[in-house]
Amino acid sequence: MRFHPLTIAFRIYQLVKSNFFFAILLFVFNRESEFWLVKYGRYVFLLYILLRLIYIITAWFVEKYEWKDRVFHIHKGIFVKQSSTIPFSRIQNVTRKTTVFHKVFGLTSLTFETAMDGVEDAIHYEVITKKHAQDLIDLVKAKQDSHTSNESQYENELQAQPEEEDSISETDRTIHFTPERKDLWKASFTSLSFLAIIPIGAGLLDYAEPLIEDIDRFEGMFQLLLSSSWLIGILIAFLVIVAVTFGVARTFIRYGKYEISSDDTHIYIDRGVLNESYFAIEKNKIQGLEMEQTFLKRLFGLAEVKLISSAKPNIEDGSLNVNSLYPFLPVEKAYQLIEELLPIYQINSRLERLPRIALWLRLLRPSWFFVIATIVLFFIKPDFLHITWWVWSLILLCIILLNRVLDYIHTRYVVTDDQIQWWHGGLTSRMFITKRKNVVEMSYSQSRLQSHFNVASVSTINRSTPIHVEIIQDIPLGFAMGIIEWYFKRREDVEIENRSR
Amino acid sequence: MKEIKLENSLSPMFPKMRRVSELIGNIIGLIVIGIFFWLQHYFEWPMWVYWILVGLVILSVIGIIWSIFEPTYLYRSWSYQYDDEYLQLSYGIFNREWVTVPMTKIQSVTTSQGPIMRRYHVRSIKVETVGSSHVIPALEENVALALREKIAELAKLKEVDE
Repeated sequence: MRFHPLTIAFRIYQLVKSNFFFAILLFVFNRESEFWLVKYGRYVFLLYILLRLIYIITAWFVEKYEWKDRVFHIHKGIFVKQSSTIPFSRIQNVTRKTTVFHKVFGLTSLTFETAMDGVEDAIHYEVITKKHAQDLIDLVKAKQDSHTSNESQYENELQAQPEEEDSISETDRTIHFTPERKDLWKASFTSLSFLAIIPIGAGLLDYAEPLIEDIDRFEGMFQLLLSSSWLIGILIAFLVIVAVTFGVARTFIRYGKYEISSDDTHIYIDRGVLNESYFAIEKNKIQGLEMEQTFLKRLFGLAEVKLISSAKPNIEDGSLNVNSLYPFLPVEKAYQLIEELLPIYQINSRLERLPRIALWLRLLRPSWFFVIATIVLFFIKPDFLHITWWVWSLILLCIILLNRVLDYIHTRYVVTDDQIQWWHGGLTSRMFITKRKNVVEMSYSQSRLQSHFNVASVSTINRSTPIHVEIIQDIPLGFAMGIIEWYFKRREDVEIENRSR
Repeated sequence: MKEIKLENSLSPMFPKMRRVSELIGNIIGLIVIGIFFWLQHYFEWPMWVYWILVGLVILSVIGIIWSIFEPTYLYRSWSYQYDDEYLQLSYGIFNREWVTVPMTKIQSVTTSQGPIMRRYHVRSIKVETVGSSHVIPALEENVALALREKIAELAKLKEVDE
């Protein structure tokens, strides 16, 4: 099957969008310029656009997809034919995005992400009708469910639901979270999104400069403003209002419409006001959970919950992290959400603290970052804000020490049946929780200093892209040994596939 | 500290082999430094280059002395163990490491042998997992090959849910 014909339009739209600024630069601002780079640049630019257009149109005729027996086949490539096969079982999560472009035509886009180690490891439909997208999602999901329930019935009895139920799963989803107005207000301040106006404003000013004919007169006006104190006051108040309004609007647009729901097998996230997106991940594929609190979020009692999965994070969409459940959850709500979404994870509130000696170890440990930074400061001797270099070095030392003390206070850990959970981190603290079977490697280490005080470090590695490494430092030796012992019982949780190769 | 001693140790040839290879490396290093001394003299490079080179010479001399003792300590610190489920490695003179890798999570295993290793009839084994790789630096040839076979066979098994 070919992709939707509007794919061509969408790609042209993107081409225009990404080259618009460049075109303006070449043909409007520098239209009089005889500089050789600009002069020939125009021809090169036109040629490039022409080639891209030809490529986009021919590519549509060449690119095809089909599915047969739980496997997708994708064909592409104009000069070098390329076809890839992707089994449904390898699909880790599903993302559907509806940008403004898609909205105009009543269409959407769809991406199936996989955890295969290849370059071309996602199936991406840039433009697709809503109905077809839903059909594909159902198709992949139904097959996935039957696949898992056939092979791992005993492993996860919760999942052994009759298949018919899954095909109409849209209806039996339960909604766990939608943000309230109160949360959004808090979110707009903790995310510091009002600061985002600074780069945008600076960019605009840069952009506008060539348009303002008499720059001197503009600067004269600025001088006038600065000379009167109440004018400055009004200006600052005005700027603050603009910045805050902008930040709040940005947060409301990004996180305003947000819905986290789940059924027996999957977790769904629907979000976005202007650009809508839909994200689904199979619960089985989740390798662990992470809860992150930056300093500001801790003040407001908020936290971000992230799912650790082996699918590659979607890079095109830099702004929104697909693995994040919601970046501004009230802490209580976050715990509750984890328990509802993934009942196999039990969050403990009773965690062990580190021994007092760990604090001294943290303070004593040399900080190479500090040493190098101080050497660099010594040689450069910057005169920033009229403060000498060694004061900067001291300030840095204080921040590092504060971070370490906070890390000592925050570090807590607990190991229960088949699950490990720990908090750590200084200014930004993080909780990590995973199942024994999802830990792919465990190591224990002890430095001379640590061995002197009978403590050790333990680290775990989880599958993710890139791999997820967690280290907990300076826990008592006995406990570290206990964790390793615990890991040796991993066999109890895993099932070996009887695959005759 | 509680020493973690696993069942197997490296080939007893390891210290000798390592000393030889370190020595060769150090000699090459000194030759390179010597060339720079000559260049400094010939092209009349500034004096600080000279002092940096002197510093490097001192460091390499310390390195050479250390490389006489280090292999023995390293050899004593190394041990490994494997069964049907896990490969365990324990090593490190100052910082002790003890790594546990489930066999099913191993993605590839490679043995390799350089010219010096061939002289002492040892091979190294490199094990790669999803996110990391570990090297056992020297095993007797037959031991290395047997271990490789064993790991390769066990690593073929896959866990449900992958």
